[in-house]
Amino acid sequence: MKHSICMVSDFFYPNMGGVESHIYQLSQCVLERGHKVVVVTHAYGEKRGVRYLSNGLKAYYLPFTPFYNQCILPTIFTTFPLLRNIFIREQITIVHGHSAFSTLAHEAMFHASTMGLRTVFTDHSLFGFADASSILTNKVLQFSLSETNHVICVSHTSKENTVLRASIRPQVVSVIPNAVDGTMFTPDPTQRPKDKMNIVMVSRLVYRKGMDLLAAVIPQICSMHPDVQFIIGGEGPKRIVLEEMRESNDLHDRVHLLGAINHKDVRNVLVQGDILINTSLTEAFCIAIVEAACCGLSVVSTRVGGTPEVLPPDLVYFSEPSVKDLVHTLNRAIEDRKRGKFVPPFEAHERIKKIYTWRDVAKRTEIVYNSVMNKVPNDSGERLASFYKCGPLSGKLFVIAAVLNMFLLWVLETFWQPREDIENTTDLKPLQNFRFRRPSKEERTTNDSHMT
Amino acid sequence: MAARREIKWRKILYEHQNVPDNYVDESFLEEMKKNLYIRNYEYWSVVKASGEITQQISSMCLFIVSFIYMDDKRLLPDTLVLITIAVSVVGYIVSKLVDKFTTVDSSDDKNQRTVLEDLKTFVMFTGFSYCLSPVLASLTETISTDTIYAMTTVMLLANLAFHNYGVQAALVSEAFSLNAAIFASVCLASRLPTSWHAFATVLFSLQIFGLWPRLRHKIKETFPAVNVALTVVLGSLTLLALFTVSMVPAVVFILGHVFITFICPAWLISLQPLKNNIHGPWDEAVIKND
Repeated sequence: MKHSICMVSDFFYPNMGGVESHIYQLSQCVLERGHKVVVVTHAYGEKRGVRYLSNGLKAYYLPFTPFYNQCILPTIFTTFPLLRNIFIREQITIVHGHSAFSTLAHEAMFHASTMGLRTVFTDHSLFGFADASSILTNKVLQFSLSETNHVICVSHTSKENTVLRASIRPQVVSVIPNAVDGTMFTPDPTQRPKDKMNIVMVSRLVYRKGMDLLAAVIPQICSMHPDVQFIIGGEGPKRIVLEEMRESNDLHDRVHLLGAINHKDVRNVLVQGDILINTSLTEAFCIAIVEAACCGLSVVSTRVGGTPEVLPPDLVYFSEPSVKDLVHTLNRAIEDRKRGKFVPPFEAHERIKKIYTWRDVAKRTEIVYNSVMNKVPNDSGERLASFYKCGPLSGKLFVIAAVLNMFLLWVLETFWQPREDIENTTDLKPLQNFRFRRPSKEERTTNDSHMT
Repeated sequence: MAARREIKWRKILYEHQNVPDNYVDESFLEEMKKNLYIRNYEYWSVVKASGEITQQISSMCLFIVSFIYMDDKRLLPDTLVLITIAVSVVGYIVSKLVDKFTTVDSSDDKNQRTVLEDLKTFVMFTGFSYCLSPVLASLTETISTDTIYAMTTVMLLANLAFHNYGVQAALVSEAFSLNAAIFASVCLASRLPTSWHAFATVLFSLQIFGLWPRLRHKIKETFPAVNVALTVVLGSLTLLALFTVSMVPAVVFILGHVFITFICPAWLISLQPLKNNIHGPWDEAVIKND
């Protein structure tokens, strides 16, 4: 079965991060399996309109301005005309939203369900239940997921979390982990100093990544092991905490703060190290420790969220999120490393490369796509009933929103832009046969003109 | 198939376990815990704690009664000023005694303000209030009485809402609640005939909304038993005062007190079983200092 898939998220290239590269890599591998994929995101500065990425991956940058944290303003209805146009033009059968934070993804899935298309959602993050902001976000997620045909989570912990937050049946949630690009993250033992030991950290320097823990651990480890150095890549508001620590302990020659690093340079930083330390306080999957293990480093990580599921026990040391236990565990890793008690880098690389491949992710996602296409979509009555069950007050609000959206669809179909007036795009089949070929100028301009 | 099932499913991602991706194991949600950090409330301790609120309501009612009395010319401003100053002196002495009681074993007397400093502040506040009272009296004179009463009501309710009852909450703002009360007193002052009346009103409001809650907190922290007696005495006194004004507010006052003191705590406790706080491995870790 061939599908036409529309990946929707506020987060996409040129923004950089876990979700962005997930969408890109997954799209590439789904394309490779013979399906049609388009990506829909909001405009990033000058990047607006239609763009083509490698292998003819088409990306729509819609003219909505980001409002908070790269997400567009939640208006529920105003995105409908444009998204409907794209869904019809591209003959989309499945809309696949990414990230619980992304307003665009939620709205696109809502409109797609109104139009009777199948929807799939991938959740990339963990949430608590206690504070006001989580309660609100969880309500929105419940609204959005109550009619989503299938949900994908990146770890088992993330699945438990999503099932609880959105009150959905666990059977409609699949666990498909993230993957690493095995060709990119290769070990290179020559980059490591012979007489010293490097401990690496690559992460945004924010509270959630446990920077306060790291700042307390570094001086203790440095005083215990004179031959240990720290290399820290990344930027963020907690940089000042690390700089202060470096200043007050006189560790300028042993703690190197590299600042922001490009995704393509991450590997070059990682291979300089012997051990990667991850001090995150919450993490759905933690791609950083997989990338490090793929480069042949020993990994020391806090036992939070989905991290215990990710790596085989001989490649990782787990610690409780406390300074004392982190120092103890890091010590153990350093001693093991000095005694040569670690999995050889190239062996680790081969193993990780086989476990987490994007092709495998695409294969498993395709199973999800097939299963949602085989299900009969809910009719309007069932949809409204499922919204109504969401809560005493919110349920009614959700029903009102859904009914208004159906009315808007009727207006669009009958008056504004009847289906017959929307031209279908040319099939992208020829492009796929010539891989790595950039679309010619005519092709690009014809597609661009469809947008306006 | 049966042989495969014997291998126990593990919560890992690094191996394919021959189950579909949407497989739900029986260990699903095993690590979830509910209501980990729950506080068990005892009825009578909640009843005692509710005194914080009823005390503030009583103080507020006393302030309004004093205004009505002056408006009816049943109370001379001179008497009110005298009472205020006398009560302030008594309250100051009690406050100092409580301070003595608590700081017997700790030696840091440096933070303690001296009597001279306190006197200076007192003179300054009274002096400014006195000098400004003609302005205060005429400040809102042109505004209609209905508006004044409405504004006073809103401001006093704001004082109740934002008052610091000893709970850490985003809503609490001592400065805002005090300002609201002072604003209410300035509003009311303009309905009274002379600026001397206005001075008496403002001085009394400063005492009852500014100083009195602080003294109450101090007493409550040091002698919790006295606090209960204080609530009762203050409540009865206010009730008596309200009776002399009118029957209706007095009855409402009694009903309100019964509701806040006895029914609300029972309500709070009866709602406790509905508490459903979920904890699990997805929670953000809290950094332990050890």
